[in-house]
Amino acid sequence: MPSTRRFGLGWVKTFVVLTAMVIALFPVFWLVSTAFKPYNEWQAWPPVWVSRQPTLQNYRIVFFPELAQKFAANEKGNLSYKVSGSAWKAFADSAIISGFATFFSVVFGTLAAYSIVRFGIGGTTYPFQFLTVRMFPPIAVVVPMVVLFSALRLSDTLTGLILAYTAFTLPFSIWMIRSFIEETPEELEGVAMVHGMGRLQVFLTITLPLVRGGILATALFIFILNWSEFLFALTLGGSKVVTVTVQVANYVSASSGKLYGVQAAMGTISTIPVLLLGYLIQRHLVRGLTFGAVKR
Amino acid sequence: MAGAAARATHSAGNHITERQDLMRERQLREAAIQEVGDEAVGPSCQRSGRYGAIARTIARRMPFEVALALPAQLTVLAVVLVPTLVVLWLSVTSWQPTQGIPWYKAEVVWLSNFVDLVQDADFVSAVLRTVFIVVLSAAVELFLAIGLALLFMEDWAWRRLAVSAIIIPMMIVPVDAANAFYMLFNDQGPLNYILSLLIGRTVQIDWLGDVHLALVPIILCEIWQWTPLMFLLMLTGLMNLPENQIRAAAVLGASPRRVFMRVILPLLMPVILLSLIVRSIEIFKLFDPVYIMTQGGPGNATETISMYMYHGAFMFFRMGYMAAAALMVLVVVITISAMLARPLMRH
Repeated sequence: MPSTRRFGLGWVKTFVVLTAMVIALFPVFWLVSTAFKPYNEWQAWPPVWVSRQPTLQNYRIVFFPELAQKFAANEKGNLSYKVSGSAWKAFADSAIISGFATFFSVVFGTLAAYSIVRFGIGGTTYPFQFLTVRMFPPIAVVVPMVVLFSALRLSDTLTGLILAYTAFTLPFSIWMIRSFIEETPEELEGVAMVHGMGRLQVFLTITLPLVRGGILATALFIFILNWSEFLFALTLGGSKVVTVTVQVANYVSASSGKLYGVQAAMGTISTIPVLLLGYLIQRHLVRGLTFGAVKR
Repeated sequence: MAGAAARATHSAGNHITERQDLMRERQLREAAIQEVGDEAVGPSCQRSGRYGAIARTIARRMPFEVALALPAQLTVLAVVLVPTLVVLWLSVTSWQPTQGIPWYKAEVVWLSNFVDLVQDADFVSAVLRTVFIVVLSAAVELFLAIGLALLFMEDWAWRRLAVSAIIIPMMIVPVDAANAFYMLFNDQGPLNYILSLLIGRTVQIDWLGDVHLALVPIILCEIWQWTPLMFLLMLTGLMNLPENQIRAAAVLGASPRRVFMRVILPLLMPVILLSLIVRSIEIFKLFDPVYIMTQGGPGNATETISMYMYHGAFMFFRMGYMAAAALMVLVVVITISAMLARPLMRH
């Protein structure tokens, strides 16, 4: 841990840290600022930093797409487009898919991780086959999955995406929960066994409560991954099932290109859940994204 | 069966004794199951009938640890192994969904897809471009992260606030981050305006529309979003270093630069290697920012492997050909990961 505590950093270091902070925050600031800009400020030159006529118009279009037509008329025909689907549906779809997929991934992952840590199932190389799943570029698996899903009538369904998300987050849940279980004392389980508990009972009543916090952190982490996912949602869903990420990409019109303000409005609200959960599990992010290898 | 016989002997009118009989029968059955089932038997033993018996036998024969790993294993097999088999089949066919033939009856062309792929300039350049992006982004992220993390080794007043601000990019949904960068790099966007102010004359570069420049916003977006993760990794690694070694080196009169090169860097090496591997794998899949910002264009100036295969499969519907490409990518990935597995296990 840090040995010296000072107030200042020195000019050069302070400047570097402040620059890093500005660079980190500026794109986010621009996204938020654009979300409140009226149409004529989206691409103005010189750029408008903070809107002089802030509006909620973009958010209205996001949540009530039927207003978009009226809006287009107001802009003297500059902007004619159809906005398909409302944010409500996207949020509902994303919540259902991410919720169920997270649940299955964490439950299956916890069971498998326990088996790996306490029984060493499949030897030392066994956990690595799960990692391989994460190394595959998703698009390489998407091509056959599209074919399979249409044969099984799973394409463009919630079930199909839940299945895909569960499988592709399993490596994270197994490896992350594994690292949490490894930190629990094995002796406790031995004592419980001596007292006549069955193996399932030991797992449920002794080990599980000890890693409860870790499992919760894993679940939130995996929810973030599912919520942010784009490629599967685009290729395996897309018309009947629309997640928030696909909805963000949908705000494009043929005549005037991207609808900056509307897209930014959807962007701000779609990223808020991830932002909140991310800071909530900040301590565990590093562990998650390195499959439990690097711990704080 | 004794219960059924007993029930038959009772007259149909006597409902009360019949119900008692049924209850006794169930109790007897449950007691029998309790005797038979050992500790490994799961909830499936509550079911009765022929399928119940089969489930019981399987449950009794199956070791506890196998039962635990089974759901995860089955899911992975269903979503990875089965599609891989389909890829194997499709890769030797010329199947296109627009032909109107079902995929399992597709025309077999054997290895001609692979021969075509190796000569396909678009595929080869997509692979090279992706490798270029991986190497460049991972290297830049690492250097920025180490530099920044070294500043955070000491404790100062607003350190926590600074960390919270610097890690915000990795908390943004990648699609939204890509949109923000799309706006920043617009020809009338704020970045060109800032450049104009610095240079003193109007700059309106069409970053995303220029064949030579379009990769810049994409790579910068990737670096912006994931340097924070690298930074957190390096900071964690630095904090876990044995402090007395570093202090001893400093006391013995080594310059800060020497301490860093001779003591800190070697100790940090495992974390650096791991971070590079994890990031490289992720950047190799690069898709979201490309799709949002350029769709691979202009021309195919920003086409990564993922974007190339997306176009081939979902715009040109060349499923057989893309299956061959997927297979080649999968083989490369599996080979590399098998090579990496050993050194990874050591750490």
